Amino acid sequence: MKTLTIQVTVNGEAFCKTVGVNMTLLEFLREELHLTGTKLGCNEGECGACTVLVDGKPVNSCLMLAVEADGAEIFTVEGLAKDGTLHPLQEAFIEAGAVQCGFCTPGMLMSAKALLDKYPKPTAQQIRKELEGNICRCTGYDRIVKAIILASEMNKEG
Amino acid sequence: MMRFNYFRPASVKEACKLLNQHQSEAKVIAGGTDLMVQVRDEDKKLAGMKTVIDVSHINELRYIQEEGNVIRIGAIVTHDQIFRSPILKSAAPLLPEACNTVGSPQIRHRGTIGGSICNASPAADPVPALVALNAEVKLESVRGERVVPMVDIFEKPYKTNIGADELLTEISFKRLSDASKTAFIKLGRRKALAIARMNVAVVLELDDQGIVTEARIAPGSVLPRPGRVSEAEEVLIGQKPTAELIELASKKVSAVMIERSGVRWSTPYKEPVIAVLTRRALNQALGVE
Repeated sequence: MKTLTIQVTVNGEAFCKTVGVNMTLLEFLREELHLTGTKLGCNEGECGACTVLVDGKPVNSCLMLAVEADGAEIFTVEGLAKDGTLHPLQEAFIEAGAVQCGFCTPGMLMSAKALLDKYPKPTAQQIRKELEGNICRCTGYDRIVKAIILASEMNKEG
Repeated sequence: MMRFNYFRPASVKEACKLLNQHQSEAKVIAGGTDLMVQVRDEDKKLAGMKTVIDVSHINELRYIQEEGNVIRIGAIVTHDQIFRSPILKSAAPLLPEACNTVGSPQIRHRGTIGGSICNASPAADPVPALVALNAEVKLESVRGERVVPMVDIFEKPYKTNIGADELLTEISFKRLSDASKTAFIKLGRRKALAIARMNVAVVLELDDQGIVTEARIAPGSVLPRPGRVSEAEEVLIGQKPTAELIELASKKVSAVMIERSGVRWSTPYKEPVIAVLTRRALNQALGVE
């Protein structure tokens, strides 16, 4: 079979689409659903710009076939803000100056979301380990680490 | 992007039937973290591939079990699941440690233990740990099943002798004794998301007098085929592991690397470094710095 019909939930919305079996999840999100927040970087699992959450876990959407995501719940950067209000992580990234060119930011945010789901009060060391799959060529990472700590504090207050 | 047919069998039986039907035109995909990169590159390893058989939905291959003192791991268990397994943490701590150094969280959530073995990269991190555990693998096909020592399936880098109709379904090994001391060390070009330049796994057992009764030393990325270095292990067995003997055993690993791999462009670098990594791993296992 060269095409297959898949059912996925993306940011809470259910989709049923027929896709080519060689289409990646990244291509599906960007080209079929027009969710272009998720970025294509290296296309080989090295840079993390394409990171999305599949059933709550961060994965490289460039290394996953869309058909492999059949039945899964997917969460992308577009799902973070709710009704025009930014997610605490997005607020913290702005506050800490953790965004420069911004290309890595959607992937960073998704890894950071998974990280805070796992460790609500992470140490800098835990942050660096959990973000090891996301490359940033601008910030030097320090402000990204600070932003995530800031977001974890906002979470606590909230 | 390469074009291919796609099948998603729901059982091992169905997967074996498909493999039998498509033989060498089929490639198995589990986590896809290696295969997808090769697909995109139109890697020559995939020449003639017409069909992809996705085993990632075969739930009967997703388990970590202990029976008697034998640990059994289903082939599609991910590196992350191995890292978080309480059974493996107590039965073979070097394996979760090794799996936690693979790629990144994104890779560890998708990549599987079976896929890592079948891809046969000399730099695979779980492989030296499994070599040091004397792991066996189960291969199933419509012809039946066979269980073989894992080291016997490797022919050369990126090449195994697994039959075109066979599916690797299980990895098994004996639980280490409580007296076992283990270590896994990986050296990459950077600390995060690096492919191992070299790695090494060790298992040591000592008796009440502090004499080494069992030693298993498995270096990665230095031998043509993954395996233990018995020449280095013999230096330690029956002895107290003094600093001198550890140094001798570590240098033996370098010597054996050259014997088995010959002198290559990387030898002037790897020769001293694999000895240092082995020494560190042995010291770490013994709890001395």
